[in-house]
Amino acid sequence: MNEKLRPQTQAIVLDEVFPHAPEVIWKALTTGDLISRWLMPPKGFDPVIGNRFTFQTNPSGEWDGVIRCEVLEVLPNERFSFAWRGGHDSNEGYGSKLETVVTFSLSKAGDGTRLHLVHSGFMLPMNDTAYRNMSDGWKKVVTRLDTVVAEETSSQTLH
Amino acid sequence: MSEAETITVVMRALADPTRRAVFERIANSDEITVVELTRGSNVTQGAISQHLKSLKQAGLVSERPEGRNVYYRAQRGGLEPLADWMDHYRVFWRERFTDLRDLLKEIDHE
Repeated sequence: MNEKLRPQTQAIVLDEVFPHAPEVIWKALTTGDLISRWLMPPKGFDPVIGNRFTFQTNPSGEWDGVIRCEVLEVLPNERFSFAWRGGHDSNEGYGSKLETVVTFSLSKAGDGTRLHLVHSGFMLPMNDTAYRNMSDGWKKVVTRLDTVVAEETSSQTLH
Repeated sequence: MSEAETITVVMRALADPTRRAVFERIANSDEITVVELTRGSNVTQGAISQHLKSLKQAGLVSERPEGRNVYYRAQRGGLEPLADWMDHYRVFWRERFTDLRDLLKEIDHE
């Protein structure tokens, strides 16, 4: 498989038009109190390049669930970007090591504003889909399951 | 239950090879009864019923009684907890955008 030979990254892209001025959306994206109301409550957030802040999410395995962010780009009413890091090497799928970047871009769209989100940097196959639906994902889930079960059994019994 | 706990419950339910085989057969059919499941296996109907109980508790199968029969089918989204980061964030951002839309409506009227 190609993706096993060379590292590849994938991105999640969302693109929606909101019936509001860019300034209003910008405020919602870059004000701590407002971020709490639609995303998650950030800790230590300041919309300044280099600022480090965190989000608390569900822990998994050896990962404490903390998303560590760092503001990378602040271009008022146009572009806001920050690093989104979390996970742990010992996890697979949800909770695996995550080194990603979240970028919001704003542009005029008629009377409203187009909000373009790119969450990039998902690694293949590490963060890749182990399960998508019953038909094509089942094999992968079973493989992963076997690993987990093998790990659990080997820590309990020796043979 | 936390996300990690849910994952563990689902993993545990599927860790047993016989139970996993039962689940795979349910997933591969539209609906199936205990009798039909027993017929194609090497275990007793009682054992199959026990496995079905575990699968139900893990949210992997649902049941529909009809007359004297109970029909089992794979629960939609039952394997969702095993989804990976990208699936997780695909759903996450879509939901967050919906919340953002609601918030913008509110603050624009203030």
